[in-house]
Amino acid sequence: MTEAVQNVSQSQIEVENLNLWYGEKQALKNISMQISKNSVTALIGPSGCGKSTFIRCLNRMNDLIKNCRIEGRVLIEGKDIYGPDVDAVDLRKNVGMVFQKPNPFPMSIYDNIAYGPRIHGANKKDLDGIVEQALRSAAIWEETSDRLKSPALSLSGGQQQRLCIARTLAVKPRIILFDEPTSALDPISTSRIEELIMNLKKDYTIVIVTHNMQQAARISDYTGFFLMGELIEFGQTRQIFHNPQERSTEDYITGRFG
Amino acid sequence: MGLSSKTSEKIAFSLLTLATLTVASFVLVILVYIILNGYGAISIEFLTEMPRRMMTQGGIYPAIVGTMYLIIGSMVAALPIGVIAAIYLNEYAGENRTTWLVEMAINNLAGTPSVVFGLFGLALFVKYFGFGPSILSASLTLALLILPVIIRSTKEALLTVPNEYRESSLALGVSKWQTIRYVVLPAAIPGIVTGSILSIGRVAGETAPILFTGAAYFLPRLPDSIYSQFMALPYHLFVLATAGTNIAKTRPIQYGTALVLLLIVLGLNLIAVLIRRHYRNKLKI
Amino acid sequence: MFNRNYKEKMIESVLFSVSALTVVILFLICLFLFRNSLFLFNDFSLLDFLTGRFWYPTSVNRQFGLLPLFFGSLIVTVGAILFSVPLGIASAIYISEIAHPKVADFLKPFIEILAGIPSVVFGFFGLVVLVPFVQKTFNLPTGQTALTGSIMLGIMALPTIITISEDAISSVPSTIKQGSLALGATRWQTIYKVIIPAALSGISAAVMLGVGRAIGETMTLMMITGNTAIIPSFPGGFLESVRTMTATIALEMGEVPQGSDHFYALFAVGSVLFIITFLINLIADSIKKKYRFKVD
Ligand SMILES: Nc1ncnc2c1ncn2[C@@H]1O[C@H](COP(=O)(O)OP(=O)(O)O)[C@@H](O)[C@H]1O
Ligand SMILES: [Mg+2]
Repeated sequence: MTEAVQNVSQSQIEVENLNLWYGEKQALKNISMQISKNSVTALIGPSGCGKSTFIRCLNRMNDLIKNCRIEGRVLIEGKDIYGPDVDAVDLRKNVGMVFQKPNPFPMSIYDNIAYGPRIHGANKKDLDGIVEQALRSAAIWEETSDRLKSPALSLSGGQQQRLCIARTLAVKPRIILFDEPTSALDPISTSRIEELIMNLKKDYTIVIVTHNMQQAARISDYTGFFLMGELIEFGQTRQIFHNPQERSTEDYITGRFG
Repeated sequence: MGLSSKTSEKIAFSLLTLATLTVASFVLVILVYIILNGYGAISIEFLTEMPRRMMTQGGIYPAIVGTMYLIIGSMVAALPIGVIAAIYLNEYAGENRTTWLVEMAINNLAGTPSVVFGLFGLALFVKYFGFGPSILSASLTLALLILPVIIRSTKEALLTVPNEYRESSLALGVSKWQTIRYVVLPAAIPGIVTGSILSIGRVAGETAPILFTGAAYFLPRLPDSIYSQFMALPYHLFVLATAGTNIAKTRPIQYGTALVLLLIVLGLNLIAVLIRRHYRNKLKI
Repeated sequence: MFNRNYKEKMIESVLFSVSALTVVILFLICLFLFRNSLFLFNDFSLLDFLTGRFWYPTSVNRQFGLLPLFFGSLIVTVGAILFSVPLGIASAIYISEIAHPKVADFLKPFIEILAGIPSVVFGFFGLVVLVPFVQKTFNLPTGQTALTGSIMLGIMALPTIITISEDAISSVPSTIKQGSLALGATRWQTIYKVIIPAALSGISAAVMLGVGRAIGETMTLMMITGNTAIIPSFPGGFLESVRTMTATIALEMGEVPQGSDHFYALFAVGSVLFIITFLINLIADSIKKKYRFKVD
């Protein structure tokens, strides 16, 4: 492990010896990682290496998969999220997630954002404020303020993805997980979302899976490289890209495989 | 093999075309025949008056009302149960013996002849529960008949709801039931409505299940409670055509009744098809 | 949080209980049919019921022999299948392999109309059109014959057979078709040498479900087959009047005193009918499960 990681004094997420199986098949092998508060951590690696599987462990989305078995510990703010007294539904309020394909609900823009707060019991008169705040934070207020009642599916792909980010923000999580949020988008939408993620870092801890190495280099503070279910290397982004310790990391970054 | 492959292909394709035309002509002939013979009988009076003179004159109003009651009664009983069962099967059930058993039961209910439902309704509702021959007994019997239709169409509708909706709702810290309640079900509504409309068509057209559970040959008054017997369109047609006072003389009434029944059932089917078409591509992400 | 978990668990159990109701209903149907049938066998032997050649439920020397009714159902169903299976499969092939997609899009719902027409309307149409036609054509004393029933029933079974066969044929992977065409086979050769064999189990399931539909049909047959409970000869019986199991129940249940042997005998006929359709569905189901192609 590198110096940088050891220096992290107060980590928001600590993963200890995490192993995960889908039925007989082991998809994550002995992963340990520490993620510090208000940072952007990028996870890279060839397709099928377990990146999505890993971040879905951080908000227990893998609970939904029937034959999935997990060993090891994931501590968030010091608390083991797989502990007996932790409720996955409550956990997910604190650990939001944005998916690869923009997937707004088939409702109006307003109702998409208000969906989470409403269910979590937000006051009716506060909703307008919450919606506006979330849309502003996701940098999509300008484009939508005059058409809040129109269907979310009428927005462009990039706008839909920012709407999904706003929808996540409205629940006020402390950590946001992104699983390849721009892989379905055009370059302009992509750069807007990258900009947004860098801004969100002030208030949130961010973990992002990306297949795009330039993206990882541009926006992240830390980078982890996964290969066949193992975390090969983890450290400061600058160091991973300029001075990788492992041969396979270097091969991957320089485009020699994957 | 005297024929070249090109020639035999021509012959085969002609025969297949001919077969399809034959089938299509059955549909056309039946529809056209009933429509041409029936439309003369239909008038406002025909639809809104009581039968007169031993059903040789007058309208079919009580039969229409009876059929409406059956539709309402059976839907009230079957729709909630069917939708709930479909939700359980699609959203909760694992692949285990219980699920297999439930699916097997649904398939077999769907294949059970309607006259057997009639027998069962007689034994359970009319006799065992003591509801007598009544709207209640007949509605419950019909409800059993359409239960598999509603379950299947609801399940199909739930299947077309993209999994992404469920995942992103859960990722917002929303519980499973709330996700179903507020995201999955609303998205499945068009499919559920389609299935319900098809079921209504079934209820309106079925005769065998109501034969021994409450349908009456003739009633001078409209039913006044769920324990009353009733007249119904399909049974009315059956009675007029096979056991009426003057079968030959009442032919126009028979054609008219057949046409009304056909229009109700096919109209409902058409609405269902249109709804399905309209929403088919709307849900895809 | 525990409150919510508790609520979620409660909801799940309620949903489960409601869906288990379907099993309860099926169980109750068996229970009530079989129990009422058993009362018959207090006075009347099961063997005599199953092998009896005469159905004289009301004569002094009453007899409850199933055979005339069983063969009545059988001959009408066989006739219907002989006529609707070739026609149905041919149409399914035409719709899925030959017709222009636009034509197919029109034909499918058009043929589906048949599935929506109520059976009394089929019966009524049969009564006013087909019965006189059969009578004149074959110069018979009555047009209410097994043949009349078979034709009408065949038409009614068509949508089931066509829809499910069409489904099976369409689900044959197009790679298989293209492979055959690439070898220089004509479209017709591809259809009957490759596609039909590949879709065969699906087509068989369609035929089974068509049979199930035909055996259970009541009103249409009651209106047009004449309802004479005599074991029909074969094939001459097609031009005679027959009585099916379903029609017997429908005709007689209204008139029997409840609790009489005759009443229970009708339940016994219903039980036989239920068991037959149960088995047919089971077979169709297991065939259908097999035909799902693994998508590569
Ligand atoms: N639900 C699942 N059941 C079984 N295997 C799965 C499941 N999800 C993913 N996998 C397998 O786990 C491995 C890692 O997948 P994933 O985490 O999606 O990779 P990545 O996101 O890095 O492309 C792959 O081999 C994949 O096939
Ligand atoms: Mg992935």
